[in-house]
Amino acid sequence: MSEQNRAAQRAVPEQLERALAAEVSLRSRLRHVAVGLAGGCGAAVIAVLWATEPDALPKRTQAAFAGLIAIGLAWAVLAGWVLSRRRPLFARDRVLSARIALAATVVTAVAGVALAAVRGSTVDLVATAAGGAVFAAAAMLALVRARRRRRELLRLRDALRQDAP
Amino acid sequence: MGNDGLLVVRCQLGEREAFRELVAMWHPPLWRYVRGMVGSPHLADDLAQEAWVAVVRGLPRLRQPERFAPWLFTIARRTVTDHLRQTYKAAETAMEEATTVVADDELSGVLTTVQIEAGLAALPLLEREVLILFHLEDLPLASCAEVLGVPAGTVKSRLYRARRMLRDHLAEKGYEA
Repeated sequence: MSEQNRAAQRAVPEQLERALAAEVSLRSRLRHVAVGLAGGCGAAVIAVLWATEPDALPKRTQAAFAGLIAIGLAWAVLAGWVLSRRRPLFARDRVLSARIALAATVVTAVAGVALAAVRGSTVDLVATAAGGAVFAAAAMLALVRARRRRRELLRLRDALRQDAP
Repeated sequence: MGNDGLLVVRCQLGEREAFRELVAMWHPPLWRYVRGMVGSPHLADDLAQEAWVAVVRGLPRLRQPERFAPWLFTIARRTVTDHLRQTYKAAETAMEEATTVVADDELSGVLTTVQIEAGLAALPLLEREVLILFHLEDLPLASCAEVLGVPAGTVKSRLYRARRMLRDHLAEKGYEA
C-alpha cells in the first residue's frame, strides 16, 4: 500500500482529533474568561477596600493587600494572554464571554461603589464610580463588537448556504 | 467561495462540529504536502498536527475565508521551515531565490502525479515544494505565489526548473516524460 493511500485511508489520526478537540474546547475558554475576570475584579475590590480604609493600615496588611492585588492582576494578564494566543475566542464564544464580562464588571462596579459610599470620602466614591463605569463601558463595547462580528459571519454563512448547490 | 468557505465561516462562528469536517477535508492534502517536504511519515504526522494547532489558533483572525487554502499551506510551510531550520542551521540561505521570470515550458500537463511523487525525493527543497503545491495540491499559480511569498513569475521559473530537474532525474531512472 502506498503512503498516499495510507494517508487517505487513515484520514485524521486519533491523536490529532484529540489534540484539536482540546484546542477548540469552549469549556477551556470559558474557564480562562472566568479566571481572568475573577482575578481582575478581585483585584479591583481589594483596591477599593484599601483606598477607602479610614485609618492607615499596618505594613503587613498593606503588603498582603498589594500581594493579593498583584496575584489578581497576574491571573487577569495570564488569562488575557491565553485567550489571545492559545485559545482565541470564536464569534459565539466572544459574545458569551463579553456578556459574562459585562455582568462581572457591573457587579464589581456596584459593589465597589457601595463600599466607597459606606467607607470612603466623596472623592473615593467618585473615583470608584468612574473606574467602574470605564470597565463596564469597555465590557459593553466588547459585547457590541462581538455581536457585530457574529452577525457578519451569520450573514456570510447564510449567503454561502444559499449559493451552495 | 463554495463549501470550503462555508466550513471556514462555520468554524469562525464557533460551530465545533464544523472543525471536524474542516480537518477531515484538509488533513490529507496538508499531510501529503508535509510528507513530501520532510520525507518521513511519522515526522509528517507531528508537523501536520503542529500546523493544525496553529491553524485553529489563527482561524478567528482570518479575514478572508475564501483564501483558506493558501493560508493553510502558508502555515504548513512555516511549520516545515521552522523544523528544517532547527534541523539544518543553514536552511535559511537555501530558502532564498532569485526572481527571474521565465515563460512556462512545454512539459505542462505531461508529467503524471505518480511520476512526480516518484522523483520528488531527489529534488532540492524549493523545487520539490513548488511541484507539490502546483501539481499535487492543484493550487493555482497565484495561490502558490502567496504560500511561497514570491511573485507569480518566480513560481513559474521554479516550476520550469523543477520540471526540468524532475525530467532529467526520471530520464536517468529510465522513465520517459
